[in-house]
Amino acid sequence: FWKTKVVSLSQRSTQRLHDMAVSKLPSGLLVASLENYSPVSKIGVFVKAGSRYETAENLGVTHILRLASNLTTKGASAFRICRGLEAVGASLSVTSSREHMVYSLDCPRDDFEGTMEYLINVTTAPDFKPWELSDLLPRVKIDKAVADQSPQIGVLEKLHEAAYKNALSNSLYCPDHMVGKISVDHLQQFFANNYTSARMALVGLGVSHAAVMKVGEQFFSTHTGAGAPGAVYRGGELRVQSGGGLVHALLACEGAAAGSAEANAFSVLQRLLGVGPHVKRGSNITSKLSQGIAKATAQPFDVSATAFSATYSDSGLFGVYVISQADSAREVINAAMAQVTAVAEGSLTAEDLTRAKTQLMADYLMSLESSEGLLEELGVQVLSSGTYSSPQTVTQSIDAVASSDVVKAAKKFVESKKTMSCYGHLANTPFVDEL
Amino acid sequence: MASRAPAATSRLMVGFRKWYYNACGFNKFGLMRDDTINEDTDVKEAIRRLPEQVYNDRMFRLKRALDLSMKQQILPKDQWTKYEEDVHYLEPYLEEVMCERKEKEEWAKK
Repeated sequence: FWKTKVVSLSQRSTQRLHDMAVSKLPSGLLVASLENYSPVSKIGVFVKAGSRYETAENLGVTHILRLASNLTTKGASAFRICRGLEAVGASLSVTSSREHMVYSLDCPRDDFEGTMEYLINVTTAPDFKPWELSDLLPRVKIDKAVADQSPQIGVLEKLHEAAYKNALSNSLYCPDHMVGKISVDHLQQFFANNYTSARMALVGLGVSHAAVMKVGEQFFSTHTGAGAPGAVYRGGELRVQSGGGLVHALLACEGAAAGSAEANAFSVLQRLLGVGPHVKRGSNITSKLSQGIAKATAQPFDVSATAFSATYSDSGLFGVYVISQADSAREVINAAMAQVTAVAEGSLTAEDLTRAKTQLMADYLMSLESSEGLLEELGVQVLSSGTYSSPQTVTQSIDAVASSDVVKAAKKFVESKKTMSCYGHLANTPFVDEL
Repeated sequence: MASRAPAATSRLMVGFRKWYYNACGFNKFGLMRDDTINEDTDVKEAIRRLPEQVYNDRMFRLKRALDLSMKQQILPKDQWTKYEEDVHYLEPYLEEVMCERKEKEEWAKK
């Protein structure tokens, strides 16, 4: 008995991992799965229901929806969802970004069937009960209080608010004037408009494709979604004077949409300029930004200048995120700009380029190592483009970026209308038109 | 908790029930059946869940009834709650609260 067990284990290890399978159901739902024989299955439901799809009347509804995922549904009460998941050791979490809402469920492989019922209920049939929603209010306030404490979050939200006219300018958090005013009607309307099968993708790791397809068939929805406006970049400036000794400044221009070749060029440029130390407590030698700034100011600046890049389905942002002492903010920001301008003028060695490309490829591949990273990558790819590009394809397209592309990307940053958001003690911080 | 016998709507019973409703007498204060329910924990939770408008109406009726009872008066006959107008507004919420409580007890037993 013991001998046969050993044999079956080694058999399993020589079985090839299945490839990614992607299919589209008649209801419009995209189903993808990767059977990696893991003892834990991970299922994600990706919905195009991020904060960009909020309208002026229901700003903040995605924040509430994010918190409301464990509330009573038509098939199971909140209590039952909680206890049912606990009983098998599963966990359900919700993440939302500007574009997507992601519900991800981890469960042991054998209990897959049972726990799917909860996930389906949560994503297709929530019962927005008014008293449960008013009980959510303290959680909304806690979320906002935590976000207010963090300058990084503040500066990112303000950047998006300043950079876009609509859609992507919506904050991930509920605005103050809407706290307590999001009603059941808002939620139901948003739900009906956005949680349609055509806007969802169901991704499974550690499950067979047939099992995921069967679950996907229960996701039919008769609603038709409303269209969403494209994001319009405007370039602006938002400054938040909050005192303290540091200044967080984020300076960006419109970048490229996700998946385009230009996006790869921007990512390589980002790595070239530096994204933080690769060696813990190291002196960040490979980062052009850090080195440039170290020459410009003798004052110790606490953290870093890192290049910032965000990509969305129809637009993107690229720029520099600088944290510096309040008095030297002007010098530091100018030094960071000078570095990017240097790249735009072509001072880019082949060695720098290969190093940046290798770093980018390594970061990408390493993010796929964890199951969360892999699930997120699969889900976002499948939902945006309907197919999945294997890591080899992605690394090849990164490799194909030439130094002329990178120089062009840097030029775009230097020449285009910039957006800036800063947070901190702003006496010595330049305005965007002074840069 | 209040336990009413499950009412089978048959034409024979309607007359009896109307007579009984009027004999109870709370409609002379302008109250509805669910205003008079004994408030135990389940009922309190169900009342907490009432929509604002319904809750305000309930409070008004209770206040009016308390006021009348203090003055030892009743409403004029045309303002008495009629059997047809009596809405069992609390019943759906109360049922839900009881179901939830039973579910919790079931789980606790396991």
